[in-house]
Amino acid sequence: MTNHRIPKSLIIVTGLMISALLVTSCASTKPTCDTPQTRNLTTAINSVENSLMNGCHAHFDRYYDDLLTIAEGDPKPENKREFSEFLVWATDKGLLSNRQAQDHYNRYFNVKFMSLKGDYNNCSHTCPNKQKVLFDMQRELSDKERGLLRVSLDNDGYYRADELFQEVELVLEATCSACSAGR
Amino acid sequence: MNKTGQRLHAAIRPATLPSKILTSLLALSMLALALLAARPASANTPTIRLFPTTVVEDLRHTGNVARDMETGLQEVIGRLDQQQQLYLESKCEGADNDSGCQRLARQIGATYLEMLTIMEERLPDMEHTVNNTRLSLEKNLRNEIGRKMTPWTLQETLVGTAEAKTTQQASPTLRGRSGMRLSERFKQYYQLVATSGSQGDQSLAVLASDIYLDMQETSLLIERTRQEIARATLMEQLNQSFGIITPEMMEVVGGVKTILFGDEDSQALVAGPPPGSVEQAYRSPLEQ
Repeated sequence: MTNHRIPKSLIIVTGLMISALLVTSCASTKPTCDTPQTRNLTTAINSVENSLMNGCHAHFDRYYDDLLTIAEGDPKPENKREFSEFLVWATDKGLLSNRQAQDHYNRYFNVKFMSLKGDYNNCSHTCPNKQKVLFDMQRELSDKERGLLRVSLDNDGYYRADELFQEVELVLEATCSACSAGR
Repeated sequence: MNKTGQRLHAAIRPATLPSKILTSLLALSMLALALLAARPASANTPTIRLFPTTVVEDLRHTGNVARDMETGLQEVIGRLDQQQQLYLESKCEGADNDSGCQRLARQIGATYLEMLTIMEERLPDMEHTVNNTRLSLEKNLRNEIGRKMTPWTLQETLVGTAEAKTTQQASPTLRGRSGMRLSERFKQYYQLVATSGSQGDQSLAVLASDIYLDMQETSLLIERTRQEIARATLMEQLNQSFGIITPEMMEVVGGVKTILFGDEDSQALVAGPPPGSVEQAYRSPLEQ
C-alpha cells in the first residue's frame, strides 16, 4: 500500500497563502466609523482623531456633532479649548481648510455670527436677502446656544450673541428701510 | 365701543404718542450731543456719523414742539378729569334728562373739543419736525451703515471692542422694537446713554435705528391722526348740540391719560443675563 504523504513544504506554502488571504481581506474591510463610546471628551477626541486618520474623514461633521453631544454631558469653560485644539489638529492634518475650521469653531463658540460674512455693502447685498440672512442667523444662534451655553457654560457669551442678533435685526430693519427710501 | 368712539380713540391716542416720544427725544438729543463731544477719538475703530449736529438740532427742535403740545394737553386733560369726576359724583350716568347733567356733559364735550383743537394746531408743526428728523436719520443710516459697511463690519461695530464690552456690562439693554410702550423704550435709551458715558459706535447705531423706526411710525400716525381729527371734531360738535357725553369719550380720555401720565401695569421688560455666568479667559486662535 502506497503511503501518500503531503510534503511539508506544501503545507507551509498553503498556510502562508491562507494567512495572506486573511490579511488582505482584513485590509480591504471598510472602517466602521463608529460613534465614540466614551463620555469623556478628551478620550472621545482621541478616538475620533484615530478614526479620522483611518479612513473616516468623510464623517467629520457627524463626529463633530458627537463630540458636542459628549461635551454637553460635562459642560465647562475648558471645553472651548478642547474643541479649538481639535479643529487646529484637523487643519494641520489637512482634514479641514483653515476657513472651515474657523467656521466650525466660530459658529458654536464665538459671539459673532458667521452668517454675516460678506464683502458687499448692506444696501446692495444684505438688504435684498434680509430674510435669509436673519433666518441663517437664527439657526446659528441655536448652535451658539449649544456651544456657548450648553457646552462651555459661557452664559455671558450666549447672552451677548442673542443681544447682537436682536441689534442686527433692528439696525437692518432701519437701514434697509433707509436704503429703499433712497432709491 | 361704538364706531364713533373708535374713531375718536384712533384720533387721539396716536397723536399723544409722538408728544411723549419727542419730549424724551429732547433729553436724548442733548445727551447724544454731550456723548459725541465727550467721545475720545479712537484710531482703532471706524467712526460713524449718525448723529451730526443737524440731526441733534432736529431732535432738539422736535422735542420742544412735543413738549409744548404735551404741556397744553396736560392742562386740558386735568380739567377733563375733574369734570368727569364731578359728572360721576353727581350720578349723572343714565340721567340724560336732567338739565344739570346735560350742562355738565356739554362742559366735558367742550373741553374735549379743546383738546382736539390743541392737537389740530400743534400737529402740522410736529409733523414737519418729525419728518425732518426722520429724513436726516434716514440719509445718515443709508450712507453710514447701508453703503459704507458690509454685514461683517456692521457686526463688528455692534459688538465693539473688548474694552467697550466690559464697560457696557452694567448698561441697560435695548431689546429692539419689542412692542413695549414707546415712552418706556425712550426711557431706556435715556438710561443707556446716560449711564454708559463715552461708549462707542455700537450703541449709536442701535439708537439711531430705533429712533428712525419710531419716527417713521410716528409720521404715519400723525398723518392718520390729522385725517381723523376733523371727523372727530365734527362728531363732538354734533354731540354738543344734544348735550350727550358718551362712555367712549370717557374711555378716550382715560387712554390719553394713560399715555401721557403713565401706566403702572405696563412695566417695561428687560431681559437679564442667564444666572451663573462664568468668567471666560480662553481665546481660540480660530476666533474671528
